[in-house]
Amino acid sequence: MKQLEETRMVLNLIIRKPISLIALIIVFGFVIVGFLAPYLVPYPEDAWGLAYNVENRFSPPSLQHLFGTDALGRDVFSRVLLGARFSLMIAVGVIGIALIIGIPVGVIAGYYGGKIGNFLMRVTDMFLAFPPLLLAIVLAATLGRGLLNLIIALAISWWPWYSRLVFIQTNTIKNMPYVDSAKIAGLSTFRILYKHIIPNALTPTIVQAALDMGSAILEAAGLSFIGVGVKPPTPEWGLLVSEGWQSINVAWWIAFFPGLAILVTVTGFNLLADALRESADPRLRRTILMRLGIKQ
Amino acid sequence: MPVSKEYLFKRTILLAFVVFGVIFITFMITRVIPARPELLWAGPHATLEQIEEARRQLHLDKHIYLQFILYLQDLIFGNWGISWRTRAPILSDIISSLTATLELIIIAFIIAVMAGIPLGILAAIKKHGWIDDVIRVLTVIGASVPVFWLALIVQLAFGMWLGLLPSAKRVDEWVVITTSFKPITGFYIIDSMLQGNLLVLVNSIQHIILPAIVLAAYPLCLSARMTRAVMIEVLSEQHVRSLMAWGLPQRLIFFKYCLKNTLAPLIASLGLSFGYMIIGAFMVELVFVWPGIGFYAAMSLLSFDYPAVTGCVIIVAIFYCIINTLIDIIHSVIDPRVKL
Repeated sequence: MKQLEETRMVLNLIIRKPISLIALIIVFGFVIVGFLAPYLVPYPEDAWGLAYNVENRFSPPSLQHLFGTDALGRDVFSRVLLGARFSLMIAVGVIGIALIIGIPVGVIAGYYGGKIGNFLMRVTDMFLAFPPLLLAIVLAATLGRGLLNLIIALAISWWPWYSRLVFIQTNTIKNMPYVDSAKIAGLSTFRILYKHIIPNALTPTIVQAALDMGSAILEAAGLSFIGVGVKPPTPEWGLLVSEGWQSINVAWWIAFFPGLAILVTVTGFNLLADALRESADPRLRRTILMRLGIKQ
Repeated sequence: MPVSKEYLFKRTILLAFVVFGVIFITFMITRVIPARPELLWAGPHATLEQIEEARRQLHLDKHIYLQFILYLQDLIFGNWGISWRTRAPILSDIISSLTATLELIIIAFIIAVMAGIPLGILAAIKKHGWIDDVIRVLTVIGASVPVFWLALIVQLAFGMWLGLLPSAKRVDEWVVITTSFKPITGFYIIDSMLQGNLLVLVNSIQHIILPAIVLAAYPLCLSARMTRAVMIEVLSEQHVRSLMAWGLPQRLIFFKYCLKNTLAPLIASLGLSFGYMIIGAFMVELVFVWPGIGFYAAMSLLSFDYPAVTGCVIIVAIFYCIINTLIDIIHSVIDPRVKL
C-alpha cells in the first residue's frame, strides 16, 4: 500500500513538469520501438543489412527514404529503427548482468563485513580505479567483436558501481532495530538477508539501474564506434555512425541520424533521472551523488 | 594549510596498491582470460614463427605465477612490446604522443570549468526559475550527446561547410616548414611562445579550438550540474540562512560566504571529469586526426594491434589513479575534515 502511494507520488511529480513528460514519452517510445522494430521497419532487408541496391546509393532524405540511403543503397531509417532493438538489448543485458554480479557482492560484503567484506570491497575498488569505459575497451578487444562480447565487456566494467551502492545500503540496514529483532526471533541468516535486507537495499539500486540504461547505450555506441563493439552489418547506432563517417562529405545523413537517435534516447533517460533526483527521497539522491563521485 | 606527512604517506601506499591492482586486472584480462594470448599478441596476419616468437615474449611456456612476475619486470624495464602497426617500441610511441593529448585535455578542461561553474552558479541562484530550467535541459542534453558524433558534426559544420577553422591535425605542415619550428616540450602553444613564433602559435590555437570544445562538452555539463547541486546545498545551510536574515546583500553572501564552500566538493568531482575526458579523447582525437595517445589507441583498436592497446590501457589507467590521488590530496588541503 505504502509502496503504491510512493510510486504514485513520484509519477505525479514527473507528469506535472512538461519536460519530464517528454522524457517519459521518449523512453516509452524507445522501449516500444525496440520491441516492435522488426514489424515497423519499411525495408526489412535493408534494416538487417541483407540487401543492397547500389544504383540508389547516397540518395538524400525524401518521403520514400526518410533518412536517405547509405553507401550500399540501404534505407537509413530502417536501420536506425532496428538499431533501437539492439540498443535496448545491450542496455538491458549490461544492466542485468551488472546487477546479478553486483548485488550479491554488495550484500555479502555489507552484511558479513570483516575479512570477506574487506576483500570484496577492495576488489570492487580495484575495478573502480579504471577510468570509465577503459576496462570495457580492453575486455572487448580481448574477447573480440560481437553483441554478446560487447554486453559482457560492459557489464564487467559496470558491476562495481552497484556492489558499492548495495554495500552502503546493507551496511546501514543491518544495524536497524528490525534486523536485530529478526535475529533475536531466531530467523536464519538467509531469511534475514532475503526477507529484510535485500528488499530494502534494492529499491534505490534498481531505480539507479533503470536510469543508467542511457549511459549504457552511450558507452556501447562509443565502443562500436572505435571498432570493438558489434560486427557489421548489425545496425547498432554507434556502428552506423562509424559507417556513415566514411562518406560524410558526400552524404551527411548516414552518420547524422543514428547519432541523433542516440542523443534523443539518452537524453530521455537522463532527463528522467534528473527529475527523480530533484524530487525523490534523499536516500535516492545520496546514492546518485555518490555515483557521480561526490563523497558525503 | 599543510598536509600531514602521515596522510601523504598513507595516500602514497594506497596509490601503490591501487596501481598494483590495476596492473593485476590488466594481466588477468590480457594474459589469462584469452585461450591463446599469443594469437592476439601477434596480430591477425601473423606467421607461425611470429606466433612462436610472441609466445616466448609473453613467457607463456612458464608457470602462471612466474608469468606475472616476468610481466611486472617487463613493465618496469620498459619492454612493453613492439607495435606491429607502427613497427616501433610501444612505450616510446606512447611517450611521444602523451603531450599532444595533455595539451588538448588541459585546454578542454579550462573551457569546461570556465563555462560550467558560472552556469551552475547561475542556475542555483535562479533555482526553479526558467533560467534554471533552460540550463538544466541544456546540460542534460550536453551530457547525453555521443562525443564521437558531436566531433563529426562539428568537424563537418565548422571545418568543411563554413570553413571557419581547420579541423584536422595539430598544426599545418607548411607553417612548420616555412618557420622551421622545432617542438621542445611537445606543447605546441608553449613551444611557439618560447620561440616567439607567432605564426605557429596562431595556427596551433586555431587547430585546437574545435577538438577542445567537443571534448569539453561533457565535463562542462557535468561541472555545471555539480556546481548547481553543491551551491543549492550550501545556500540552504544554517549559516547562510542567518546571513540572509541579517540582511546582508545577496552578492556578498554568494561570493564571500558561499563560493568558497562549494570549492571542495567540486574539486573532488574533477577526477571523474578527467576520466571521461581521457576516454573521450580516444574518439575526439580519432575524428580530428590529433596525434595523441587517444588517436594512437583508437588506431590500434581499429587495426587489432593488441600489444599497443594493452600498453595504452595500462598507461591511461595508472595516470588516472595518480590524478585521483592528487585530487584527493588537494581536497584534503581545502577541506581538513576529509579523512583517508
